[in-house]
Amino acid sequence: GCVHSCRFEDFVTNETEWKELPGCQNVTHTECDFSSAITKYYDTHHVRIRAERREEVSPWSSTFEMNPYLIAHIGPPGVELQSINGVIKIKISPPEANQVRKMWIAHLRFKYNLVIWENSSNAEFRSQSIFPTDTIDDLAPDTTYCLKVQATLPLDLQEGLFSPIHCVKTTHKAVNDLLCATDVSILALNMKFHLHWNNRYKQHVSYNVQYLIGYLKKLHDDYSMKWLSVPGCENITDTQCNFSSIISTTSGIYYLRVQAMSEYNKSCVSNEVKVDPLITNEIGPPGVKVDISDVLLHIQISPPGGSENEVMRDHYDLSYRILYWKNSSNNEEEIKMKEIKQTIGTISDLTPLTLYCVKVQAFSEVYNKSSHYSKEECIKTPGDKILHLVILATFVTALIAVFLVATPLGFALYQVYNKIRYVFFPSCQPPLNIEGFGGQLLSSPYLSTTEEPIENCSVIETIITEEVNQTDFKDYIHSKQSSRDSGNYSNDDTSGSKVSEETLEKEIV
Amino acid sequence: IMNVFGLITIGLILLCTTTISSLQCNHLPLQQRKMIENSLQLLDKMGKKFPQQCLREKMSFRFPEQVLKPRQKEAVKVAIEEIFQHIFYIFSKNLTLAAWDGTAIEQFQNGLYQQIEQLEACVTKKQTHYFHSNEVNRLKLKKYFQKIDCFLKDKQHNLCSWEISRAEMRRCLQLIDKVVRKL
Repeated sequence: GCVHSCRFEDFVTNETEWKELPGCQNVTHTECDFSSAITKYYDTHHVRIRAERREEVSPWSSTFEMNPYLIAHIGPPGVELQSINGVIKIKISPPEANQVRKMWIAHLRFKYNLVIWENSSNAEFRSQSIFPTDTIDDLAPDTTYCLKVQATLPLDLQEGLFSPIHCVKTTHKAVNDLLCATDVSILALNMKFHLHWNNRYKQHVSYNVQYLIGYLKKLHDDYSMKWLSVPGCENITDTQCNFSSIISTTSGIYYLRVQAMSEYNKSCVSNEVKVDPLITNEIGPPGVKVDISDVLLHIQISPPGGSENEVMRDHYDLSYRILYWKNSSNNEEEIKMKEIKQTIGTISDLTPLTLYCVKVQAFSEVYNKSSHYSKEECIKTPGDKILHLVILATFVTALIAVFLVATPLGFALYQVYNKIRYVFFPSCQPPLNIEGFGGQLLSSPYLSTTEEPIENCSVIETIITEEVNQTDFKDYIHSKQSSRDSGNYSNDDTSGSKVSEETLEKEIV
Repeated sequence: IMNVFGLITIGLILLCTTTISSLQCNHLPLQQRKMIENSLQLLDKMGKKFPQQCLREKMSFRFPEQVLKPRQKEAVKVAIEEIFQHIFYIFSKNLTLAAWDGTAIEQFQNGLYQQIEQLEACVTKKQTHYFHSNEVNRLKLKKYFQKIDCFLKDKQHNLCSWEISRAEMRRCLQLIDKVVRKL
C-alpha cells in the first residue's frame, strides 16, 4: 500500500525509457486513473510504482504487465425504444458512441444480444440476436415487457456489459390488419424468383413489392427510407411478383416485403422475407437425350436453366445422378445408378436387344440440393453384331451354294430332256436323197429283192439332171411322175420293178 | 423395461435435436471462393485506375501475412472472418470524396456481409478458441486495420486516401483468395 505519495511510471514494449504517467504523480490514495496516458491499445505496457516520502524513495515495485486491448471489457450500448402497433421498435447505439478515441474501432463488428421478459412473476427470459435497428414483433399486446441489450464480439470471445433495463408496454395491434398481405412466400426455380402472398381483404387492393439490400441492416443508419420498389411490381393487383431482376449477383442477401394499399389511401406493410439467392433457389430437372451405338448408351444432359444459364453450374458445382434400368414386363429389374460431373455420360454394361430406360437428376452436394428427376427416356439396344454377321454370311453362302449346284444340274437335266425328246420325237424329216436308205431300212436287209436283169438301155428323153438337183423334193417327184408318163423307157418286162416303184411312191406319199 | 424405454426415448430426442441444430455449412468454401472473386472484380469496377498524383502519398501498411499461415487451418478461417468484418467497416464510412460507383460499392458490401453472416453461423467455438489463443497474430491484425482507419481519418477521407485504401484492400483480398483456394 501507498502511504505518503506514489509515483507511477510506464514503459511500453519496443520503447527503452520509462515514462512518468501523467495524473499519477504524487498521489496519496492507492489507485490512479492513467487512461489519458495510454494511446497504443494493442501494445504491452509495463507499469511500476514506488513510494516517496520527502527525500526517501522506496525501490521500484515489480513490473506489472498489461495489454489494454486484452484486458478491456466492452461497455453497455445505448438503447432507444418505441412501442407502436403492438410491436417494440428498438434503436441501438454502439458502446463508445461519442468517444473520439475508441478501444473498439470497428463498431460494426458488434453483435447485439437482446434479453427480454414479461414483467410478471415466473416470466421466461428470452435471448435473441438483433440488428442495431430492429423490431420485436412476436409480443402480446397491452403487456409490459422489460429488456436489456449487450454488445458482443464472438471472435474475441467478448461479451459486453448489459445496458440498463428498459421496460415498455406494448400497444394494441392495428385495426387495418385485414389489409396486410399474409403468407408471404418465395418460389424460386433455376434462379427465377417469384414472391407469392395472400390477402383476405374483400375490396380492391393494389400492391407494391419492395426490396432492401441486406447489408443495410447491419449499419446503424436508419434504413427505413432505403426500401426500393421491385421493377414491374409497382401498383399491381396480382398477388405475385417476379423479382429475378433485382437478384443481380448470387453474393448478397435481400429482404422483400409487400405493401398493400386500399382505395382509401390506407396502407399496410407485410412481414419481411429474407432471400439468400443460392440457398433460397431450387434446382430444376435437367433435359435428357439418349443415343445408342454398338454396346454403349450415350446420355446427353442439358443442364437445368438451359445451357446459357452459367450461374447455376458455376455456383452450385452441379453433378448429375443417372438412374437406368431394364424396362421389361418383369418389374423386379434392379435400378442402377451412376453419378457424373459432365453433361455427357455413357453406360456400357448392357445386354443386347433390351429396352433400357433412363432418368437424370441434377444435384449440388455442397448445397445439399437436388432437382426432381427428368422425364424417362427409353431406347432399345441393338442385337449382337456378331450374330448378325453370322446370319448374313450363312445366308449368302447358302445362296451361292444353291446357285452353284442348281445351275449345272438344271443344265444337265435340260440336256437329257433334249436328247430324249430328240430320240423319240425327232422334230425333222430325213432328206429325200436318203429315201432309198429309208426303204431298205424298213424292209429286212436279209430279204433279197427280185433281181433286176441287166438290160441295154437307150435314152429316149433326156432328163435335165441339173434341174433335178436344184428343184426341191416335191418338184422332183412331179418331174419324175411326168417323166414316167411320157413313156416307159426303162424296162419292158420289168413290171415287177414298176410295181416296186409304185409301191415306193405310195409309201412316200 | 420402462427405464430402458425412457432412456431410448431421451436418446432419440437428443439425437434429433442435435441433427436439427447442426447447420448446413458445406457450401461455405465454394461460396467464399466465388464471393472473393466477385469482390475483387467489384473493387476494380467501383473506381478508375489508381491516380498518379496519389503515388506520393502511398503508405506501407504491412499486412501481417502470418495470420493467414498458422499451423492450424481452423484458425485461418476465423482470421478471414475478422478480416471481412474490418473491410466491411472501412467501406461503410464516408465515401463521397472517393466518387466511386455506388452500385458496385453496394454489391461489394452486400457480398461481404453475406459471408460474415454465414461465417458467424458456421464457425465453431473450437475454431474460435484456436484463433483466440494466438494473441500475437490477433493483435497484429487489429493494428493493421487501425493504421488504415487512422490514415483515412488523418486525410479526412479524401480521394487519395480512399484510393490507397482500396489498393490495400485489394491486395488483402488477393492474399485471402490464394489461401482459400488451398484450403
